[in-house]
Amino acid sequence: MYNFVIWIIVSMCLLFLLNRSSSGAPILRKITMDDICLQKIQISGPTLASLIQRVSSSDGDVDGLLFGRVTQIIPSTLSDDSSANTTSSDEPTLVATLTSFFTSTTTSTFYSPSGHLHTPALNDLIFKCTSNSSSDDRLIGWFSARRKTHLRPSLRETTVTASLQSKISPCIFFLLTTPFHDQLIHTHEYKAFQFRSSTHSFDPKTIDVVNLGPAFRGHYGNFTPNSPFPDLPFEVKGLNSESMVEDQEGKKENQQFGSLCHDDDFKIGRLKNLMGSGAATYTAELEELYNNMLNKVNGLAKLVEQSSARVLEQENHNMKLRYKVAGFE
Amino acid sequence: MAVDSIPPIILTQLNYLLNHSPHSIKVEQMWSGSKNPSLLDRFTLVIPFCLDYIKWDVIYNAQFPLLAPDIIFGPEDENFRPYPVGKEGDLMPKNSLSDWNYKDPTRLLSLIHELRSLYMVYQKKRVSEVDDERLKFEISTMYSREGIEMHMSSGVDKPEEVKLAVPLLEMDLNKMVAGSSWRHQQKIYLQVIYPVSRKYLAVTSAPRLKLISSPELKDLFSIDEFRLPPWLEGMCMAEYLPTLEEMLESQIRDAVSSIEVRRKFITALAVPFGRPLEADPVFCRKATFLACSGVFTFLVHFTLPLQFPRQQPALTLQSSQHFHSHPGKPIKSAILQDYPWSPRWDVAQMAERIFDYLVEECLNFKKHCNEVLVQQR
Repeated sequence: MYNFVIWIIVSMCLLFLLNRSSSGAPILRKITMDDICLQKIQISGPTLASLIQRVSSSDGDVDGLLFGRVTQIIPSTLSDDSSANTTSSDEPTLVATLTSFFTSTTTSTFYSPSGHLHTPALNDLIFKCTSNSSSDDRLIGWFSARRKTHLRPSLRETTVTASLQSKISPCIFFLLTTPFHDQLIHTHEYKAFQFRSSTHSFDPKTIDVVNLGPAFRGHYGNFTPNSPFPDLPFEVKGLNSESMVEDQEGKKENQQFGSLCHDDDFKIGRLKNLMGSGAATYTAELEELYNNMLNKVNGLAKLVEQSSARVLEQENHNMKLRYKVAGFE
Repeated sequence: MAVDSIPPIILTQLNYLLNHSPHSIKVEQMWSGSKNPSLLDRFTLVIPFCLDYIKWDVIYNAQFPLLAPDIIFGPEDENFRPYPVGKEGDLMPKNSLSDWNYKDPTRLLSLIHELRSLYMVYQKKRVSEVDDERLKFEISTMYSREGIEMHMSSGVDKPEEVKLAVPLLEMDLNKMVAGSSWRHQQKIYLQVIYPVSRKYLAVTSAPRLKLISSPELKDLFSIDEFRLPPWLEGMCMAEYLPTLEEMLESQIRDAVSSIEVRRKFITALAVPFGRPLEADPVFCRKATFLACSGVFTFLVHFTLPLQFPRQQPALTLQSSQHFHSHPGKPIKSAILQDYPWSPRWDVAQMAERIFDYLVEECLNFKKHCNEVLVQQR
């Protein structure tokens, strides 16, 4: 009888523990590995969208590096059955998460024509891409985008991936193409592979696009989006810096705005003036602030427009030079 | 810039490949991979291999035509890795891509040629890995033969088969025909297809055999009329091939000597008809003479069959004076093949008899021509 009671207590404790681990969040942990099979590849909606945008806006083929991390998820498949329990815990589930990418305007920036890595160039690129970002994301693969081609790795892509695999593991290859016929509904095709060193072959992987929204709440909780704010060459604090503002209102407005923001110590706290008796006089002040802000945004937009015109001009010039070299003239 | 133009650097390399390849490689389609689709920079090459074709896509970059091209192999050849991948710092053997030079027009040809040879080695390796005793034996007996191409076909919905292309006859066919204008080396192959049987069977099925020749050879010898010797039960290739080659060789020698018979016949025709306007001097399969009956002038086209003189020549008459009104083409007779003939006559008599026949027949043809003209009014 006594033994029986102890047995019940022990089994209830066990059940409690099992339930806890299955309902709780999966445990994420960074690991290093040799040739371990990825379960899937995750990419956030914005990262994928910006990758596709980059590809479709380019004149020709592009390729580049992929950054991200590999995490181990201890699957919540624990059950009361002790035999099943032991087998599942031995195989950790690995998920690769693509967080950012780097591409230049051309292909072949970090490998030779035969597909062998050019290590100094690659290290240089990795350094440039990772030195600014605060996260510990690292190189986890590369991508290639070519219009109107078959969705399978080419001769050179295979060599590049295989040599990259000797540097990083696991190594992901992401391939983007467009369909051969324009009348199809879809405009892009993509496929992700993990290159396996053991079989020396491409292993197609499912791609999980992580988006915001109720349907994705579950795995969005486990997902850390990583989109560092671009390094803009002006100070957000000094909104009155001259280069930003080229509107007709000029300096006077600027100073006024600056004085609004800084001299009067414009703080969130002042917003409470909108309530109560002083509200009528205060709204005018606030409207002026908004007006100034709009002017600044306007000036910034003009600046962006002008600089993109200059970029386009330079690109056209470059293209003409390339055509000249290629013997078109 | 012209619409749908090929960057000159790419065009030079492609033209060199098409004109200088020992295999007759063709371009199936060409298209553009640029945002501005006027620059064609990718194409599919159709490359003959093992009496079949392999299709490889060559991907250039029109924006950067100085860069080396990339190749996408067929969907069945995902495991074809022509170039080894070494660890960093390993001394890699040079290949056609590693020292790419866009200024050299021969580079694309040497790349495709190199890849095709490596593909041959790859397919041979796949075939040698097939676990089939009979196949292993057959291949081992044929090792002394040079130039055998092999192909292992396997797919989801296709039966596993090993295809062999066995080149027959060591003699150089191009040299056997004096003055031949064949650009490619003429060759006859035996296509052998073995269904792969994984387990030992007491009765092995016979391989499927087919004789295939390079297409231009039909001017000299018709492969379709050659009857393959029967495949006896329990036979192996090493027994079969010598018999086949012996038969083929004697028939080809006959075909070559029959050129001379045809040449003599054409020379004999010159006695009643006068010198030919045009004659095929290499294979002597065609000759055209000018003839007249009164003021009616017409051409006589002779087409000599490979079985000449067993089979009589086909004649066509063509008027020099009567024309179809609309397309403006000269009026021709039907093919005349039903006139007195005996292979036992000597060539002079053959020519004489045809001449006599045409003296009568040309009147019918003249009547026909006039009828056509009347109808056209």
